[in-house]
Amino acid sequence: MEADELLVLVAGGDQKAFEELYGLVSGPVFGLVRRVVRDPAQSEEVSQEVLLELWRSAGRFDPGRGSALSWVLTLAHRRAVDRVRSARAAGEREQREARRTHGPAFDHVAEEVEAGMEREWVRRCLDRLTALQRQSVTLAYYDGYTYREVAERLSLPLGTVKTRMRDGLTQLRKCLGGVA
Amino acid sequence: MRLFRREDLHSLAAPYALDALEPAERVRFEKHLRTCEACNAEVRALTEDAVRLAWSTATRPPAAMRDRVLAAVRATPQVPAPAREHARERTPNLPPHVWGAQPPPGRSRAPRERRPFFVPFATATAAAALVVASLFAVQANQTQDKLDAAQAQSREIAHVLAAPDARASTGKDTQGRSIGVVASAEEGGAVVTLSGYDDLPSDRVHQLWLMRPDEQPRSLGLFKGDTPLVASGLDTSATSLAVTVEPDGGSPQPTSQPIVQLALKSVGFGE
Repeated sequence: MEADELLVLVAGGDQKAFEELYGLVSGPVFGLVRRVVRDPAQSEEVSQEVLLELWRSAGRFDPGRGSALSWVLTLAHRRAVDRVRSARAAGEREQREARRTHGPAFDHVAEEVEAGMEREWVRRCLDRLTALQRQSVTLAYYDGYTYREVAERLSLPLGTVKTRMRDGLTQLRKCLGGVA
Repeated sequence: MRLFRREDLHSLAAPYALDALEPAERVRFEKHLRTCEACNAEVRALTEDAVRLAWSTATRPPAAMRDRVLAAVRATPQVPAPAREHARERTPNLPPHVWGAQPPPGRSRAPRERRPFFVPFATATAAAALVVASLFAVQANQTQDKLDAAQAQSREIAHVLAAPDARASTGKDTQGRSIGVVASAEEGGAVVTLSGYDDLPSDRVHQLWLMRPDEQPRSLGLFKGDTPLVASGLDTSATSLAVTVEPDGGSPQPTSQPIVQLALKSVGFGE
């Protein structure tokens, strides 16, 4: 069954449907959260929070407004970004240190799902962006920086960053269009 | 001037799709989204693009995470779907294009029919019963405070679940009503749900007690409707949980027989 249908069943309290949905979305959710949050323990905690929120709030999904997967991943991304920002606010330096210590071991343990083709395509398409488009998009999406922070890091005016983000995403769409 | 402002807001669509706005800007932009159909379409398209970036990061989560999440799901009631016509007041802290907070194009004034999401009788499980109960309890008056509380609670629940030793257990009474617990002895925390005990007079409450050998019961708090109760500071000597019916506001010590009790041994306590 597709995620969209499953989510509707989950909204009706169907735990079996949730198990199936878990199988479909837990990899992307965990992968995305881990990419943004980095710290393994926190990534797991945020992912669990997201998946539980999925169960609790499935009734809020409106199939008329986009796919279930994009709903789920948007929720996951929002939560991951919230976490990484509050962690940064709590102590930027400490966090960086923690990441350096935990990062490699965790990467070693983590098993990558067979998302090979999509992964390869995204990589290729990212490579085709201009450096500024790519950095603007990835610093925001993968590292959880606000566009103001991105502008600061890249020493660019705010307007330029907004445009690069937009162009970057549109270019990605053109490039990825064929493999959806 | 107004045109310029609007133009300026438009340019926030991409940062918004990437979750790259400051909180205040996010609020301002979401407010704008409710009235700007062009922005909505753009945000939706850009969000789909951003989500492609997510797919490529897919990573298999630890196997234990599945057990924890599924245990939590068994113990956690669902939040009912909002009636669509009031959705905008209820979900401002989540992306409206995903949560459906903006009016549909071309029929923004027409109230939308309620979606046929609730099929509780087809899935007559304890969880479904909880959903129905909480649906009636909360749907009439779903405020932002409640949503925030629900979210904070999800976080607390997730915290208990994140403990490596988190385990779940349920107990049923003879009438099929049940108590569910997800607990971590290491964290000294537990998330407790009641299901089926909704026939309570308005001046009475359900109070949760921690039972320990040779000691007085310790109050863990009062249940509010079907909302799970998060208890912390549990000592490992605890043997069981008990629920009594008490006068509004609760009692220092139980004043009646427990209506349901649950041994904690299977979730790692009582050692």
